[in-house]
Amino acid sequence: MAATVDERLAQTFVELADTLVGGFDLMEFLHMLTERCVELLDLEAAGLLLADSRGTLQLVAASTEQARVVELFQIQSDEGPCLDAYRTGQPVIVPDLTASQATARWPMFTGAAREMGFAAVHAIPMRLRDQIIGTLNLFGSAPHGLDPAVARAAQALVDVATIGILQERATREHELVAGQLQVALNSRVIIEQAKGILAERMRVTPDQAFIVLRAYSRNHNHPLTQLAADVISGTTDLVAVSRAKPQPTARRKQADR
Amino acid sequence: MCRPGGWLGKDSGVVSDRAVKVWAWIAAEHDGGAPVSMAAVCSAAARRLGVDGVSVMAVSDGLAREPLSASDEVSARLEELQFTTGEGPSADDFRLGAPVLVPDLESAAARWPGFVPEAVAAGARAMFAVPLQAGAIRVGVLTLYRALPGPLSAGDLADALVFADFALQLLLDASSGISGQAGYGLLNGLSDSQAAVYQATGMISVQLGVSLEEALVRLRAHAFADSAGIGQVASDVVARRLRFDPDAGADA
Repeated sequence: MAATVDERLAQTFVELADTLVGGFDLMEFLHMLTERCVELLDLEAAGLLLADSRGTLQLVAASTEQARVVELFQIQSDEGPCLDAYRTGQPVIVPDLTASQATARWPMFTGAAREMGFAAVHAIPMRLRDQIIGTLNLFGSAPHGLDPAVARAAQALVDVATIGILQERATREHELVAGQLQVALNSRVIIEQAKGILAERMRVTPDQAFIVLRAYSRNHNHPLTQLAADVISGTTDLVAVSRAKPQPTARRKQADR
Repeated sequence: MCRPGGWLGKDSGVVSDRAVKVWAWIAAEHDGGAPVSMAAVCSAAARRLGVDGVSVMAVSDGLAREPLSASDEVSARLEELQFTTGEGPSADDFRLGAPVLVPDLESAAARWPGFVPEAVAAGARAMFAVPLQAGAIRVGVLTLYRALPGPLSAGDLADALVFADFALQLLLDASSGISGQAGYGLLNGLSDSQAAVYQATGMISVQLGVSLEEALVRLRAHAFADSAGIGQVASDVVARRLRFDPDAGADA
């Protein structure tokens, strides 16, 4: 590839900044962020976890099904580098998941991650002032460390994600952070509910339903969370739409690659 | 008293310290052996959140409102005022499902001209309202008031959100009758399987032709009846190992 990480990062920021004005949708934003992380940083997958009001991490976005499975496994088994990054507030870099240090520390997680085809994991905490609100997790298919330029770029993307979470409703006060996260996580639940409705009506899996939802959202410039709410209320009938014509999956705004 | 974790304990996975703490507070408020009640939720919240009173209002279709429980006279009066004026933090539109926090009620006089003077006269100077919600399901509001102005601390707000979560579950489970049964507990396991639980809720709503709220009520009741973890039942629904039949309740 011709462009350097910094150049591609700059391009991504322009694109992400575009979404921060008018019709902003946090879930769409966070999904796009995980996908851009993968492209920019030459990774296999990325996932984003946010802490809910009980202090339990919840998966809000994942670039692939494999990443989603590993993230959920991690939350369920209460073990893994992303949880450690959340608890300590420090990045956790695991260049090789087969290394004895890694397998001894996270016996269940390393097995599950390898099974999904991952060889390296890097977890970066999302920090908002003195509070850790979640983690961005980067998965690689070959053992590798975290190059300093890539680490800087990843940190910049994490900061953008944090800003995105606050963007939904401008907030200054510390105490509102919990409420803000609540809104983000509730948007996630609305999307899961809409996925279930579509999955049942279209006889597909929830993951396939999400692809339909996402494609429609992009092609019609209909923000993801609002679209999900419209599917639930019945004001938008995606089943009829998808019967009429298959939805292309092209990006609304294509990066040059 | 039902053991923490209760019927959902089997696959409850990671339950946060905060949820355990709040559950213990609620459990301490109600009589041993008696089913957990909304009154216990309100009085525990009032005692622990640094506020003077707490109430829960049920809301259906965003319109009809029914006071469910209040920890004291002032809270009951505030609910009544919000109902009659159609104004106030819990009567206000919960845009995007965010809490409505009003640390100084008098500063909101222009926003709620009918409500604020009466509420202040009743003894409230700060109010905080948290929706009882799960995605598009919105069933009520938890309202806190204080006799002196001032913000809710970050920790108290986080606890209030957990109280609201428990109140939501209690409200849902009361409608299926399981909240009054032996072995019922609130410390649930939604956390580890949340995505599957809400996907299953959407699927069941189509299978039964009912609202998401009713679908979640049915899913929880099914898990309770089977002494299964709600996450496991939800996974079965998503994997199409279990269907809910409109004529026969749930059908494997």
